[in-house]
Amino acid sequence: PRGSPPPLPRGPSGVPAAPSPRPLGGPRPAVLAIPEGETGSVHKRGKPAESPPFPPRGLSCPSGGVFASGVMLVGDSGVGKTCLLVRFKDGAFLAGSFISTVGIDFRNKVLNVDGVKVKLQIWDTAGQERFRSVTHAYYRDAHALLLLYDVANKASFDNIQAWLTEIHEYAQQDVVLMLLGNKADSTQDRVVKREDGEKLAKEYGVPFMETSAKSGLNVDLAFTAIAKELKHRSMKLPNEPKFKLHDYVKKEVRSTGCCKS
Amino acid sequence: MAADVHKKKGWEVPNGSLVPADGQHTERSESPTPGLAQGTEPGAGQEGTMFVHARSYEDLTSPEDAGVTSRIPEEGQGDEVDQTNMEQISKDFSELSTQLTGMALDLEEEMRQSKEDKLDLSPQTCRRDSVLSGKEEEDVTMDAWRMHQKHVFVLSEAGKPVYSRYGSEEALSSTMGVMMALVSFLEAEKNAIRSIHADGYKVVFVRRSPLVLVAVARTQQSEQEIAHELLYIYYQILSLLTWTQLNHIFQQKQNYDLRRLLAGSERITDNLLDLMARDPSFLMGAVRCLPMAAGVRDAVSASLQQARAKSLVFSILLSRNQLVSLVRKKDQFLHPIDLHLLFNLISSSSSFREGEAWTPICLPKFNSSGFFHAHISYLEQETDLCLLLVSTDREDFFTVSDCKRRFQERLRKRGVYHVLQEALRTPFYSISQVGIPDLRHFIYKSKSSGLFTSPEIEAPYVSEEEKERLLGLYQYLHSRAHNSSHPLKNIYFTGPNENLLAWVTSAFELYVCYSPLGTKAGAISTVNKLMKWIRKEEDRLFILTPQTY
Repeated sequence: PRGSPPPLPRGPSGVPAAPSPRPLGGPRPAVLAIPEGETGSVHKRGKPAESPPFPPRGLSCPSGGVFASGVMLVGDSGVGKTCLLVRFKDGAFLAGSFISTVGIDFRNKVLNVDGVKVKLQIWDTAGQERFRSVTHAYYRDAHALLLLYDVANKASFDNIQAWLTEIHEYAQQDVVLMLLGNKADSTQDRVVKREDGEKLAKEYGVPFMETSAKSGLNVDLAFTAIAKELKHRSMKLPNEPKFKLHDYVKKEVRSTGCCKS
Repeated sequence: MAADVHKKKGWEVPNGSLVPADGQHTERSESPTPGLAQGTEPGAGQEGTMFVHARSYEDLTSPEDAGVTSRIPEEGQGDEVDQTNMEQISKDFSELSTQLTGMALDLEEEMRQSKEDKLDLSPQTCRRDSVLSGKEEEDVTMDAWRMHQKHVFVLSEAGKPVYSRYGSEEALSSTMGVMMALVSFLEAEKNAIRSIHADGYKVVFVRRSPLVLVAVARTQQSEQEIAHELLYIYYQILSLLTWTQLNHIFQQKQNYDLRRLLAGSERITDNLLDLMARDPSFLMGAVRCLPMAAGVRDAVSASLQQARAKSLVFSILLSRNQLVSLVRKKDQFLHPIDLHLLFNLISSSSSFREGEAWTPICLPKFNSSGFFHAHISYLEQETDLCLLLVSTDREDFFTVSDCKRRFQERLRKRGVYHVLQEALRTPFYSISQVGIPDLRHFIYKSKSSGLFTSPEIEAPYVSEEEKERLLGLYQYLHSRAHNSSHPLKNIYFTGPNENLLAWVTSAFELYVCYSPLGTKAGAISTVNKLMKWIRKEEDRLFILTPQTY
C-alpha cells in the first residue's frame, strides 16, 4: 500500500549514503571504512579529490586579529572526551551518569594566545564504531587532534595504535597531534602507567601528558599548547623564536603528584 | 471490517501523494459530522500535508516485508497460537531444553515465582519502577527485576541478546535463549508465536528478521498495542543502523553481537519506552503541535523555508516533543513514526543542549537503506526550541550550520523571536477554554494531516500514576476501536472514576474523558460543541499550511 519510496539519500559520488558495515574489530579503518567517493586506494591521504587541500573547509585564515582553527577530540567511547571539553570550555566537571555523544558535536571557544585571539572550533566525536564514518569525513577539517585514552581502561590504551593508523589515513598530513591519558585522578583503578603512555608517545613522536577532567589537571594546558602551536604555524612572525610544542609541553606539564615533575 | 476496508482504500494514494483524491478538502464544514471526508476535518491541512499518509496504528502492526508476511499468520487465523497455554508450550519446550545450556531458566517457573512474589508486595511497590536508577544496578535474579510492569527484550535469531530494558544483557542470555527456542520451535511447524497469556502476563513476540523482539508485560495494554511498541523499538534500532546494514551484518555473521554496534544507544531506546508510556503521540501515530497564533507559525515557517540548502530535505523546529514548524522538500514526505524517532533522539540526550551535533540517522519509514545526516542544535541554551535540519549529505555540516545561522537571522528580522518565546511559555492549553463543564480531557486526531491536539492533563490526574492511568484508558479505547477483527466506531465506557467516549471515523479520531457524574446522552450532546471549538481553534492547534522549500 505504500507509494514507491522517495530517492535514496546519496553520498557525493552517487553511492547510497549507508556506510559499509564493519562487524569486526576496533577501529580498523584501512580495510573497512574507506569513505564514499574513494575507490579503495589504500595509500591515499583520505581526501576526496574535490576538496581543497588547505585550509580545510569552514575554517578561516587570520583575519581581523581572530584566527580560527579546528581541533578534534578522538579516542574510544567513554575515555572522557566530552568531559575534557566541558572542563576546558566551562570549567566544570560533568559528574554523574555517562552521556554518550551522538555523532559529532561542534563547539567554539576563543582563546587568547600571546595577545592574539585564537578561535578554536572543537569537534567532539562519539567514540562508538557506528559513528566512525561521520568522524572520518571531518578528520581533514582538523588542524589539531587530541587523542585520548583512559588510564583506568587498558583496552582504550591498546586501541591507540589503531587510532593512530586511522589518523594517518584520514587526517591532514601536518596535523598537530597530542596523546592524552585522561582520568589521571583515578589512582585506585589505574591500569596504564604514565611511563607506558610516555613510551608510546615517544615511539610515535607525539607530545604526551596525563589529564584529568575531574581535577582539571593539564586540561587548559593541552588546549593552550595546541593553540600556541597553531598560532605560531600560521602567523610565522619573522623575529619570533620558533615554538617547539614538545619542549613547551615538557616544561609546563604537571604530574598527578603534588609537585612539578 | 467494513470500516477497515474503506480506510485501506483511502491509504492507497499513488506514490505517497497526500492530497486526498476526492478533492473535497476545500469545503470545510462548520460542524463536523461522521460523514466528513478525509481532508475536511478540523486540523486537516489546506494545502496538502506534511506527512506520509498517516496510517499510524495499522501501519505498525501490519507485517512489513514479504518474508515476514509468509511467516506470520493473518490476524484471526493465529488463534490456536494465541490460546496455547503455558503448560503446553512448556511441555513441548522441555524436549528442546536439553539442547540449551544447563543454566537455562524455565520461563514458566520464572513466571510462577514472580506471581508468588507479587502476592506479598503491596501495589505501591510494584508501581512504575522505571524511575529507578540505571540498569547497571539491576540484578536479574532479584525480585525487583521481576516486578517491573513491562520488560522488553531484543535478540538476534541466533539467540544472542541485543537489548534488555532492565538488567544487563549478559545476565539474560539464557533467558533470551529460551525465547528464541520458543520462536524456533513453533516455526519448525510453519507456525508463528505471537503471544502467550498467562498469570496476568502477556508475552508478546514480534519477528523482524534478523531480530526477534519480546515484551513481557503486566500492563492493561492489548497484545496488538504491545506489538506496536515493539515495532517502535525495531524502528529505533533501524534508525541507528539502517535495515540494509543490519541484514548485511547478520548475513555475514549469524552470531554477531549487535550490542557492539549499538553501544551507547541504550539510553535512546530506554527513553523511547518511557516516552511511549506517557506520551499519546505514539498511540495516536500522530504529531502534536505547539499551540501558537497562525501568523507567528507562518513567519517561523517562512524563515525556515528561506534558510534552505541544496542537501536539506526537512527543516524541523520543535519544543519538547511538540512540533512548531516543519518545512520539507517538495514531494518528500516524512512519516510520523520517523518524526517520533527524531523527537525521541533529541529528548533522550542532554548532549544537544550545547554546541551543534551532526549525526547519521536513518528514517526507516522514509528509506530504511540509507542514512541522512541530522544537524541538531538548540536555538538558545535556556529555551526548549530545538532546530533539526535533515540533510542528505554527510559532508555538508558547514553549509547546514550556516542555514541555522540564517534562520535565526530571519527570525530576528521578522521580529518573531520574542513572540515565539512567548508561545513557549504556554505549551499547553487548559480544558476549561472549551467551556464544557463535565469535560476533563480529550485527544483529537486529524487523520489526513497526521496531527493531533490535546489539552494539558489537569486535576484529578495530577500524579504520574494517574496520568498514566488516563493514558491507559485511552489505550484501551484505542485498542477496542482498532481491534483488527472487530473494529468499533463508537464506544462509550463507564468507569468508576470517569466516563470515556471514543469516536473513530475515516477522517478523525476523538477520545474524550468526562467526569463520572455525567450521562451518556450528556456526553454525546457535548461532542458537537467540542468539535466546533476545535474547528474554531484549528489554526492555532494545527499546522494548516505546511510549507515546502
